[in-house]
Amino acid sequence: MGVAIVITSGKGGVGKTTTTANLGTALALQGKKVCLVDTDIGLRNLDLVLGLDNRIIYDLVDVVEGRCKIHQALVKDKRVDEKLFLLPAAQTTDKNAVTPEQMKSLIDELKREYDFVLIDCPAGIEQGYKNAVAGADRAIVVTTPEISAVRDADRIIGLLEQESIEPPKLIINRIRKDLMKNGDSLDINEITTHLSIDLLGIVIDSEDVISSSNKGEPIVMDPNSKASLGYRNIARRILGESVPLMSIEDNSKGMFKKLISMFSK
Amino acid sequence: MNKQLVHIKGTKAGLVLRLDDQCAYADLVEELERKVSEGGIDGKVDVQLHLGHRYLLEAQQKELIEIVQGPGNMHVSKVHSDVITIEESNEKVLSDQSETYIGIIRSGQIIKTDGDIVVIGDVNPNGKIEAGGSIFVLGNLRGIAHAGVKGNKEAIIVASHFEPTHVLIDDQIETMSNEKPFVKDNAEQIFAYINRDGIISYERVQEVRKIRPLLSTIKGGS
Repeated sequence: MGVAIVITSGKGGVGKTTTTANLGTALALQGKKVCLVDTDIGLRNLDLVLGLDNRIIYDLVDVVEGRCKIHQALVKDKRVDEKLFLLPAAQTTDKNAVTPEQMKSLIDELKREYDFVLIDCPAGIEQGYKNAVAGADRAIVVTTPEISAVRDADRIIGLLEQESIEPPKLIINRIRKDLMKNGDSLDINEITTHLSIDLLGIVIDSEDVISSSNKGEPIVMDPNSKASLGYRNIARRILGESVPLMSIEDNSKGMFKKLISMFSK
Repeated sequence: MNKQLVHIKGTKAGLVLRLDDQCAYADLVEELERKVSEGGIDGKVDVQLHLGHRYLLEAQQKELIEIVQGPGNMHVSKVHSDVITIEESNEKVLSDQSETYIGIIRSGQIIKTDGDIVVIGDVNPNGKIEAGGSIFVLGNLRGIAHAGVKGNKEAIIVASHFEPTHVLIDDQIETMSNEKPFVKDNAEQIFAYINRDGIISYERVQEVRKIRPLLSTIKGGS
């Protein structure tokens, strides 16, 4: 029996889809069987980021409405040998096409076959969010070091705490080291104390992420990128390893000793 | 009918009219009218009505006050009754209660209580607390705090770290801008209250004992 993790943020554009694609790929590279579920019905993107858009035949709504079997709708990512699958969202209908109950039974079915089911949540707190959270056992909240993203993350954490799932974990995405060093953006400590949830990891902002998304290749495939390292570390932490938090500096030591010690407990 | 239905007693603070609580209301009104019209009082006098175990409707209470104040030289300062309705009693119980919330009040969440509330945790921006009484935050108050919602001007708002976006007490509202240097420079352990001019002001928590001594429910320290 696998575990279902919803990846959410409240605010749009902070990197939910990129995070889902990369964490899924990283977990698959670690040998886990992973299924990615795109619940952003009507505005699907996850297939594009993974470069699987031209292989979609059926989608999530087809499965829910019984037009096909689950395995017919799943798209296999050939780059990761038999480990990574995508259940794409429908593009032609809207978020009201499925109910939370239908989503829950769908996710429960996927959990039987996969080690990890990652659910890519749409932005907002309406029907789409409710569908995405319905089947999840855990939640990951993605935010960026911007006040608006942190405020929305706070709201979404409040909503997640009402659900019967484990306390959500935090990923701080798109960290710009120059801005953070100068104090022009919120720093990691500030965000974690404000939101007061556990930090799962940080991802450095990098232009490679954009270019690789456009190419349909998740950045974790490129082991040399700093963003890639961030995602790989997060995947290892999800698997239960204790990995020290990477430094946002290129060669500084002990700058985030406090945070590192948090994880080495 | 020999029994006196209205006893008049003089005290330092003025007259006390002790009204019989066993007789019929109509008889009481009759006797009160008679007693009041006897007069014999020089100058203005403060009067308290003691009703004993009689419950008066609002209209009846008004009628009695009008009778007493009719001649013009008596003013009713207080109506005292030993009984209240169940409804009033329940309200009183609720508004005297202090509730405890442990956790973080996040953006978009509202916590409401009829009495006081103690929050152990933070109130994040856009999070809101509404209390019939006072608000005590053991943590960071960064959201919206509304004390004395049902018209309690004595209510206060206290926080370990006082940095709310909006402060409301009763019908007074203040948006916290940077023009409040006292609050900005002393965010640790200050409280908000309505001062004598009816405006929200701020002081160090140590001053609560001088400004709102009646909020204390226990005396002690012998």
